[in-house]
Amino acid sequence: MNHQTRVYDDIFEMLPDEDNPTPLVRINRLNPEPGFTLYAKLEWMNPFGSVKDRAASYLLRQMEEEKGLRPEGANGPDDPGKGIVEPTSGNTGLSLAGLAGVRGYPMKAVLPNKVPLEKKLMLRLAGSELEVVNDDLCPSPGMGEGSINLARTIARAQSDRYAMPHQYENENNVRAHMETTGPEIWKQTAGEITHVITSLGTCGTVSGLSKFLKAKNPDIRVIAVAPSEGHDVPGLRNKSQLAVTTLYDESLIDDVLEIDYELAYTRAAELFSREGLRAGPSAGLIFEGGRIVAQRDKTGLGVMIFCDDAFKYAKSFAKHMPELVEGTAPQNQQPEPIGALKE
Amino acid sequence: MSEYANPSVLVSTDWVHERLNSGIKIVEVDVDTQQYGAGHIPGAVAFDWTTQLQDQTRRDIIGKDEFEQLVGAAGISNDDEVVIYGDNNNWFAAYALWVFKYYGHDNVKLMNGGRSKWLDEEDKPLTTDVPSPAPTTYTVKGTNPAIRAFVQDVLGVVKDGNANLVDVRSHDEYSGKVIAPPGMSETAQRGGHVPGAKSVPWVTAVNPDGTFKSRADLEKIYFQDAGVIEGKDTIAYCRIGERSSHTWFVLKYLLGLPNVKNYDGSWTEYGSMIGVPIER
Repeated sequence: MNHQTRVYDDIFEMLPDEDNPTPLVRINRLNPEPGFTLYAKLEWMNPFGSVKDRAASYLLRQMEEEKGLRPEGANGPDDPGKGIVEPTSGNTGLSLAGLAGVRGYPMKAVLPNKVPLEKKLMLRLAGSELEVVNDDLCPSPGMGEGSINLARTIARAQSDRYAMPHQYENENNVRAHMETTGPEIWKQTAGEITHVITSLGTCGTVSGLSKFLKAKNPDIRVIAVAPSEGHDVPGLRNKSQLAVTTLYDESLIDDVLEIDYELAYTRAAELFSREGLRAGPSAGLIFEGGRIVAQRDKTGLGVMIFCDDAFKYAKSFAKHMPELVEGTAPQNQQPEPIGALKE
Repeated sequence: MSEYANPSVLVSTDWVHERLNSGIKIVEVDVDTQQYGAGHIPGAVAFDWTTQLQDQTRRDIIGKDEFEQLVGAAGISNDDEVVIYGDNNNWFAAYALWVFKYYGHDNVKLMNGGRSKWLDEEDKPLTTDVPSPAPTTYTVKGTNPAIRAFVQDVLGVVKDGNANLVDVRSHDEYSGKVIAPPGMSETAQRGGHVPGAKSVPWVTAVNPDGTFKSRADLEKIYFQDAGVIEGKDTIAYCRIGERSSHTWFVLKYLLGLPNVKNYDGSWTEYGSMIGVPIER
């Protein structure tokens, strides 16, 4: 492993830590407040393209140590092995599938149908089996989601074949950020960080960052952004959707900013075209949070966690910004219809 | 559970666990029909609410012949003790129980907490083995129309005010803000509720672990807070009659109201009729 020359023996060596951090890039043209420095932490530079590589690698290691994962064929050619089953909206599954594939473990992702097709196909490419659940059938407040219950069932009924890390309840999800993301940011900003801005999903990122950074400096403000009700920003949860995770701890967060979810898409587009940052929708929403905080607090150094990039979300962008589709066909011809537009 | 008015219709996960090989017949009915295939209680058969509990041509529950065929193929006899469970707080399990009761099968119970509670308890086994029960000849000996309301019954209550109407849908459906929950294909022409109906969303009756709330809590929710009157007849409705089966179960068996009907036509029927009164 050599981070200087970037020559590695396998993909595991590329996983981020203090010595191999994901980049911080300053926001320039789009910063609304000159006295407030805003940095984006580009989590799409991780090996599997999202912040979830961090939690996934910690979860996989724990499953190896505690649940006896076994590569396919370990006990003869008919041995299907023992791998991972996990409910996932895409990114955790992709990281887990990629890492599991390197080790030879089978992977089964259980996911709601509303996950974009691109993410489902990426999971298949990474070697994962899919179980797709129609969560829309269950308009029942307060209940565990269908995909989580289905994954739990598989892990219980086929415990010889699958173990479930349960990212929504597993403290290793928090620990990954206490031991990697937090120390990286502290070192990259030479301890001058005043604000960290991130989103709510499993809440592993926000909880882990808060625990590490507030231990270093209790004055650091931890800001979470949440999309407005009825949102379709993949991977994010607003406050009414947080019952599903046990990693959400209100006391670790200074502010939760609820933001109009359409801004997830328009801000992401601005980031790509004006800062060269190919931000996905969640990063767009977090950037809006950064803008609000910069304008409110006037001075400081804020770090925004840009969870993943735009490439998996072309259909979602087209749905929310139909003007993007204009001009994609020769004159006098209709643009090719894409799935998300037909809804 | 002995606190409830008719405790014999509700059994615990432990009760089922202790009797797995005792001859009781276990039926799983889920909203999400993938759940059963991934793992279920050993010996349980699954009924699909969309294809097996509803008539596939006209809008109705399955007919007597289809019920006999379904239950007989599942190896259930007229005298068997049947336990039903499912996902989503036993939502569709309660609907299946209502159909069993409608076709006169009295010895039928719900497993309190449903599949979620079973999953939460590490000592409870799960299997992917699908049983092949020996078919029986099941004969429906009579129906129980007293537990089913039709739109004429509801209109009668609107006119005379002589019974409780309980709307178990979400507050937004009740108020008419939405006609159906997001993503639902079955809908109605108008939003709102039946005049005089009390709003108690069905899920209010359960604890976070999926079990039913205590009798005292249920009495407070329905009688004190919502204004359901104890001595009166009652009709529960929702959108298509499934969620209201759950509340029907609560009012009839757990609280012991004298005469409770499930209006399975529910809002998709009432909210589409010409000229009926609607309140918002």
